[in-house]
Amino acid sequence: MGEESLKRRKGEDKGREDRQSIQSHEPQTMNLQKQVGLISGICMIVGTIIGSGIFVSPKSVLANVEAVGPCLTIWAACGVLATLGALCFAELGTMITKSGGEYPYLMEAFGPIPAFLFSWTSLLVTKPSSFAIICLSFAEYASAPFYPGCDPPQAVIKCLAAAAIVVITIVNSLSVKLASYLQNFLTAAKMIIVTIIIVSGIVLLAQGKTDNFKDSFKGSKISVSSISLAFYNGLWAYDGCLTAFNWFTLSLNLPLSIIIGIPLVTVCYVLINVSYFTVMTSTELLQSQAVAVTFGDRVLYPASWIVPLFVVFSTLGSANGTCFTAGRLVYVAGREGHVLKILSYISVKHLTPAPAIIFYGAIAIIYVIPGDINSLINYFSFAVWIFYGLTVLALIVMRFTRKELERPIRVPIIIPVIVTLVSIVLVLAPIISAPELPYLYCTLFILSGLIVYALFVHLKFRWAQKISKPITMHLQMLLEVVPEEDVPE
Amino acid sequence: MELSEKGGIQNNGFVQNEDFEDKEMATSSQEEMPKTCSVDVEPVAVEETVLKPYAGMPKEVLLQFSSQARYRVTREILFWLVIAGAVVLVCATIAIIALSPRCLDWWQASPIYQIYPRSFRDSNMDGNGDLKGIQEKLDHITYLNIKTIWITSFFKSPLKDLGYGAEDFYDIDPIFGSMTDFENLIAAIHDKGLKVIMDLIPNHTSDKHRWFQLSRNRTGKYTDYYIWQDCRQAAGSVIPPNNWVSVFGNSSWEFDDVRKQCYFHQFGKEQPDLNFRNAAVQQEIHESITAYSQLYHDYTTTQVGLHDIVRGFRHTMDEFSREPGRYRFMGSDDDEKEDIEATMMYYGTTFIQEADFPFNFNLINMKNLSGNSVSEAVNSWMQNMPAGKWPNWAVGSPNAARISTRIGKEYINVMNMLLLTLPGTPVTYYGEEIGMENIASENATLPEKSPMQWDGKANAGFTEGNSSWLPVNSDYQSVNVEVQSAWSNSSLGLYRALTVLRNEELPLNRGWLCHVWNDSDVFVYVRELDGMDRVFMMVLNFGQEATTDLQARVPNLPSEAVVRLSTHFSNAGKVVNTKLIKTEMGEGLVLQYKTAKPVHTMEAFQGKCFVAEKACYSKALNLLYVNC
Repeated sequence: MGEESLKRRKGEDKGREDRQSIQSHEPQTMNLQKQVGLISGICMIVGTIIGSGIFVSPKSVLANVEAVGPCLTIWAACGVLATLGALCFAELGTMITKSGGEYPYLMEAFGPIPAFLFSWTSLLVTKPSSFAIICLSFAEYASAPFYPGCDPPQAVIKCLAAAAIVVITIVNSLSVKLASYLQNFLTAAKMIIVTIIIVSGIVLLAQGKTDNFKDSFKGSKISVSSISLAFYNGLWAYDGCLTAFNWFTLSLNLPLSIIIGIPLVTVCYVLINVSYFTVMTSTELLQSQAVAVTFGDRVLYPASWIVPLFVVFSTLGSANGTCFTAGRLVYVAGREGHVLKILSYISVKHLTPAPAIIFYGAIAIIYVIPGDINSLINYFSFAVWIFYGLTVLALIVMRFTRKELERPIRVPIIIPVIVTLVSIVLVLAPIISAPELPYLYCTLFILSGLIVYALFVHLKFRWAQKISKPITMHLQMLLEVVPEEDVPE
Repeated sequence: MELSEKGGIQNNGFVQNEDFEDKEMATSSQEEMPKTCSVDVEPVAVEETVLKPYAGMPKEVLLQFSSQARYRVTREILFWLVIAGAVVLVCATIAIIALSPRCLDWWQASPIYQIYPRSFRDSNMDGNGDLKGIQEKLDHITYLNIKTIWITSFFKSPLKDLGYGAEDFYDIDPIFGSMTDFENLIAAIHDKGLKVIMDLIPNHTSDKHRWFQLSRNRTGKYTDYYIWQDCRQAAGSVIPPNNWVSVFGNSSWEFDDVRKQCYFHQFGKEQPDLNFRNAAVQQEIHESITAYSQLYHDYTTTQVGLHDIVRGFRHTMDEFSREPGRYRFMGSDDDEKEDIEATMMYYGTTFIQEADFPFNFNLINMKNLSGNSVSEAVNSWMQNMPAGKWPNWAVGSPNAARISTRIGKEYINVMNMLLLTLPGTPVTYYGEEIGMENIASENATLPEKSPMQWDGKANAGFTEGNSSWLPVNSDYQSVNVEVQSAWSNSSLGLYRALTVLRNEELPLNRGWLCHVWNDSDVFVYVRELDGMDRVFMMVLNFGQEATTDLQARVPNLPSEAVVRLSTHFSNAGKVVNTKLIKTEMGEGLVLQYKTAKPVHTMEAFQGKCFVAEKACYSKALNLLYVNC
């Protein structure tokens, strides 16, 4: 079979291959996208944002305000904030139609240095560590049922987390389609368990189990610091917004799916919390190790095993989603020349950014080996909010510097201002409430990116190129990857 | 349908702005298996043969070189290696999980700290300890590295027998606080990651209990809640139905003027026994267990004589043990002083579980103290305990004189060392960690219940009020928590060092116990774990100063051992010759040495070694496994 016959077959296939969405710039596919975009877009947003946190530790919000009423209020308020934030991203996304997370927006607004620092931090720290964290928590949930009454040995958790990383990396580098089927399955599992919890909560409420909602504001502990900490914890649950968002950078239905999707998530969160509160008092909820599991044991007894199983699925889904999007981030950075070019190459056979994904998986495995989850999270949370805030700030900046750009969506300027202020609070709140050394290390690490930038990107050292070129060539042959052609502007 | 369509969208998200030369790509994207691919793209058409590979080469160039054997083979090998790696990781996980021993439950992993609530800490200045007081002092428990608290009975009761006859199973005695206080205490305990055990005394109630009042009037179902018998009354004295005697030595029958019958009481006459042959009574007690289980705690039952009832309790509590980490522990407190086999019955059988363990009073009931008597007390429990069960030990209780009074002040530390180095769950009665002593009192049951000695202030810091319900022991200036925590050579310092050692060292936590030697002065035993070459040998002196030649007792014993801990703190860290181990009166040593041939594998010690929850240690993986 030669090139020509390949081409011919391609021509024949074209007609019936409309679900092959690679030819996205063809109007035909664009139409398809518009047709399915809204509903599946909403599903995807809901599925991505709802992480495993709501099943395991929705208690952090409650712990800060200590009463049912304010707790539910804060969940709802967080949803509003997340919607506002997402709207800002919607404006950015429709204005600068490039994939790669916050990177292109930072690039446009602040130039290459902040953008490089973003890639540097997210490539080496935040994205791989969040992948590692999710896989570690997957491993913990998956092994916990086998060790009732004590913690699973570290060897088990690490092995399982590493296995998850390897499998997800393989799947994602072999086939985009396989990865997205997997994602769909896991998202469906997550939605099923969310539905089960909400429906059984409603049923219990209808049966009159409303004791825990009486005097729901009584005994609450409300102060500026407690509320901001509660928000801090609550907003984490909406963290997946951006991930979801990145998948839809070009979809024209994006704003609509966000406007519908995020409030839907908010409703889900509030209802799930209501369900928890129907069967648990706030003290019990605070003391439960895994809230959804406790809920399952009380409400679904003979079938209570499904809760941990589905929580495991949903964690795996988050891991897969993270890998899927982060792989793209790496390769966008590679394309810009901020990391080795080879990371932006595409597999010839599988059309996946295999080098980026493999790189990402490898770093995540390195994080899994020594890491205990908490120290990883410490690194993570602080840096992420800095760049979220900067990105929204970029929106404000570009209102003045890049007036000429076409903005299909235009949010009132007050929204990005609010979101920026909130993210400043979120960066500072944990540092002020508990100043710790990891924050300093994290800052130093981010700034150390400047040195790297100066040496390798700005000055473009010769010797670095001399080493990297043959390596790139051989790796290209080995992995069968090529640069993508014609980057559209 | 929508979900599968999403697949398409994601694909878009990923590639759409990459703008591929889709003509070739779309075809090859259908091929997901590398094998088919490598066949499909066999380079046939070679148009420009001068091409050389270079960094950043496009697809056309690449495909002409990438299928060279050296790349293809390496690629295939790497690919399959990664696949194999994933499979190995998954298999390793499964293997480790399958081989892991059942982990120790909370009631096995930590010592239990027993609190007599009226004497622990007074928060409201009335001279009586209370639940809020316990809550204030929870840090003391964590300071001791203990995770389980056992609070003796605090049900509403007339306190005639110090809380042991409940007037209402659903209420807290006002002296200790309210139900809200109790709920707060439970929450505070759980917040600190501690567990709580409470007493339930189902054998009898107070004669003030509503049930008894209704029963003596023969009201409905309550008529048979207690054990009533006709008895004759002649010349002012009652002739009991039979000659049974209560544990206090007098007749176990008491005439009731209201009902004109005698009721049965194994304990005081204020504590009529419930009639457990009555199904309604059993139901009531189960309901109280249910009520308290809903509050999340963990029981001990006392003085129940009937095994099916204990099984019933276990069954009720099992229903509340389903949630992970919420196992409801049940101990039984039956003091069958002479009959060890009767006590062991409460462990249940392999088919039907009863109590997790019946409390072990062997070390409390010892008649005299010597190396021989201690070893006999230990052996009798270990030899009689059914296989697969978990031992426990206590050296004090609310019903026995303090160690110093019972056996002598010199032995306080060595008794704590014994308690915390034996296999199984140790139970420490409050105050033992600082070596509290009896107070002088006429009442036989009170001297060991004197207020906890917290510091050197008035009333030993037990209460801010002017007086306490029992006088504080006069030695509180030197024997108190504050003084001893500042002084590492104290009983408290030793106690903490022992609990740390116990938590850190697997052999002490769940290893073998081998009885090595005993004579009138010393009791020697080792704790070791399969697969671990580190062995702990305890040489405890319960008599007079003695020198022991351990090499003569244990073949192949290394000639030197390190003193890991000693009741005489200055000795810790010293290297001693195992031929001449010198112990002073009441001195205890924890020796540590390395050996390739642990005692439990030696033939000479067959039958002298015991292990519960056997597990082996793998040094390479730093984990425990079964099947060894």
